[in-house]
Amino acid sequence: MWLWNKIKQLAISWKSGVVTLRYPFEPRPAPAGFRGQPIWDHTKCIGCAGCANHCPARTIFLRDICQEIRILLYDSSRCTYCGRCADLCPEKAITMSDRYELATENKQDITQTVELFMMTCQRCGRCYDLEIKNSLDKLHTLGYRYDNLEVRKVIRRSTADFSPEMLEETSTYERPRKLEK
Amino acid sequence: MNKKKELLISLLKNKLGADFLTEEPASPDRLFVDIKKEALRPVVQLLLEQGGRYQVGVGYDARRNGQGFALLHTFAFDRDGLLVAVRTFSPEDNPEFDSITPIVPGAGWSEREYRDLLGLNFKGHPNPKRLVLADDWPDGIYPLRKDVPHDLMPPSAEEVAFRLDQAPAGTSVVPFGPFHSSLHEPAHFSVYVDGEDIKGCEYRGFMTHRGIEKLGQTELTYNDVPFVAERICGICGSVHSTNYAQAVEAAAGLKISRRAEFIRVVMLELERLHSHLLWLGVAGHLIGFDTVFMQAWRIREKIMWLAESLTGNRKTYGMIIIGGVRRNITSEKTEDIRKVMREVEKETMALEKAIVKDKTIHKRTKGVGYLSKEETVKWNLVGPVARARGLDIDVRRDHPYAAYDELEFDVPVTDSGDVWGTLVVRLKEIYEAIKIIRQSLDKLAQLPESEPLALELEGPIPAGKQGLSVVEAPRGEAVHYVLTGEENRPERWRVRAPTYPNLQAVPQMLVNNKLADFPIIVGSIDPCISCTDRVLLVDLREKKARIVSKQQLEKMSRQVRFGR
Repeated sequence: MWLWNKIKQLAISWKSGVVTLRYPFEPRPAPAGFRGQPIWDHTKCIGCAGCANHCPARTIFLRDICQEIRILLYDSSRCTYCGRCADLCPEKAITMSDRYELATENKQDITQTVELFMMTCQRCGRCYDLEIKNSLDKLHTLGYRYDNLEVRKVIRRSTADFSPEMLEETSTYERPRKLEK
Repeated sequence: MNKKKELLISLLKNKLGADFLTEEPASPDRLFVDIKKEALRPVVQLLLEQGGRYQVGVGYDARRNGQGFALLHTFAFDRDGLLVAVRTFSPEDNPEFDSITPIVPGAGWSEREYRDLLGLNFKGHPNPKRLVLADDWPDGIYPLRKDVPHDLMPPSAEEVAFRLDQAPAGTSVVPFGPFHSSLHEPAHFSVYVDGEDIKGCEYRGFMTHRGIEKLGQTELTYNDVPFVAERICGICGSVHSTNYAQAVEAAAGLKISRRAEFIRVVMLELERLHSHLLWLGVAGHLIGFDTVFMQAWRIREKIMWLAESLTGNRKTYGMIIIGGVRRNITSEKTEDIRKVMREVEKETMALEKAIVKDKTIHKRTKGVGYLSKEETVKWNLVGPVARARGLDIDVRRDHPYAAYDELEFDVPVTDSGDVWGTLVVRLKEIYEAIKIIRQSLDKLAQLPESEPLALELEGPIPAGKQGLSVVEAPRGEAVHYVLTGEENRPERWRVRAPTYPNLQAVPQMLVNNKLADFPIIVGSIDPCISCTDRVLLVDLREKKARIVSKQQLEKMSRQVRFGR
């Protein structure tokens, strides 16, 4: 009986053979729908900060450095790849790519920064969250983007400089809350 | 209306009189009562007499509402499908409660936890030692109180150490851990041995306490928590996120769509499959039978790849949000699942046939880690560990959640009371899980495609509501308690992993076994130390941080190795 069991075990091991992949030498592509490194498409991003507000790991940061430029910083070192940002993005500017080989010696390799040219609110003077429905606004900002060299010429100079007070103010920027009904 | 619930309410009202405060309106299968704290012990006694099974204690800081400190004890009535939570309050200046550990030994850890985290005193606790906090955590700072920020790093106390109990006369101590080749996570067992025989043991764990509950109550919002909850455990992540979501949904009175419920079931059962196969492999490895380890893990890998294609990640599924799930299981995916299930079933059967009659396994597991049914009930063990000891409990059947009320399955029970029994129960559960997945896929196909995956929440979740949820994790029953709060986040969120009660009974299981059987006995409960500790790693012990270059590190490790 004991021997018969051992023979069975031998048969199972023999039949399955070697299943371990020769991984680093032989690629293993990720399946469709894999949640790998998130990638921001700066041409679609409207700087609404939805991703930053809903990131469970708090690894996406937004900060207005002046009246017209908003910086989005994604620090991958703490990312849990849950894909909430991609789900919630109203403009579908974030895609969860199939990249997973992200080990690196330099943190900058996996950090992404997006500089967004925003409208300035005429009332408070701060960067203005563009809404999708507001097509006029959207048209207006196209000119503010650096991605097209042709329109780069017509960019107006920012009226505000990098004043320390303003930086101070944005560091205490509070997360928007749900309004009471 | 649940008959048992009516009976319990009338019994409590008769017995307590003026000490019975209020009963919170809840669904028929939950009972939340508030009582005066003097009546705590008699009420616990009454609930035990009525056949209640102790689950967990929950303490929280209710000073903001002027209620002082609150303490809850929850009980399950498995034959009646009822969960009971009894809440008491204690004034702020004298947070003292009667200890119930003398009548329910399984409450020992819960009470020690709140002694550490909230500074509550328990009158009559037999072993009031530190449990959760690090040894050098200064006295008088209670991290779970609302006035303590989540990122507080106080200076460490000087010259302190955990005082282990004196070994009984005639025995010597063998320390196991915190790092040991047979333990996969840090935990310290100081084992008392007489020759080769184990005579007792003391446990010091909670070395990986991460303060996830505190984070959930101070930093995260309702829909952030499921993704963090998923990382409580490396194996049963979906269990914790589902459980949390259910507790919030119960508190807010949300009813999710049937399709979402079936998808949750499929994910939970896939997790059970891979966990059981993982454990089978680990158990084989611990007794030196590596063929089992290699083959069980080979079969398991198919499930991991399937989960990856279904959810986008092999382990952290990220499927659960409050109000439903994030991804659908389409008909093409259904075919993939069915195919993998066929393969897994066939291969597990072949593996089972090849090993169940192997004498190696029998000799190492039969009669090892024996615990009688009475002891099992006394220590309120859960999961396969309890089912191997003749206790017929399974939350999926007794307190149906998600879509389990529509599914048919058996609950395997053995009464051998040893590690072998656990192995048999877990092997049989693999087939039950496959059966459940197949049924769920059939039912999913009949549901209209138009059903929403997740609910749109209408307005904020009301504050001050209690939710209690249980989910049968692969290792046993996991309990989550949520008290909803302001600012879009829970006021209190308590997680009780199945290892929490099971680990408390390990010293009992070890008695009169051989020292060589220690790894497999501890391994038999499939201890998940992270789950239990709910532990970002911050080293408070090293007062100064040092950066060591690779060369220095190599040099240091060489010095240690050569004893210099």
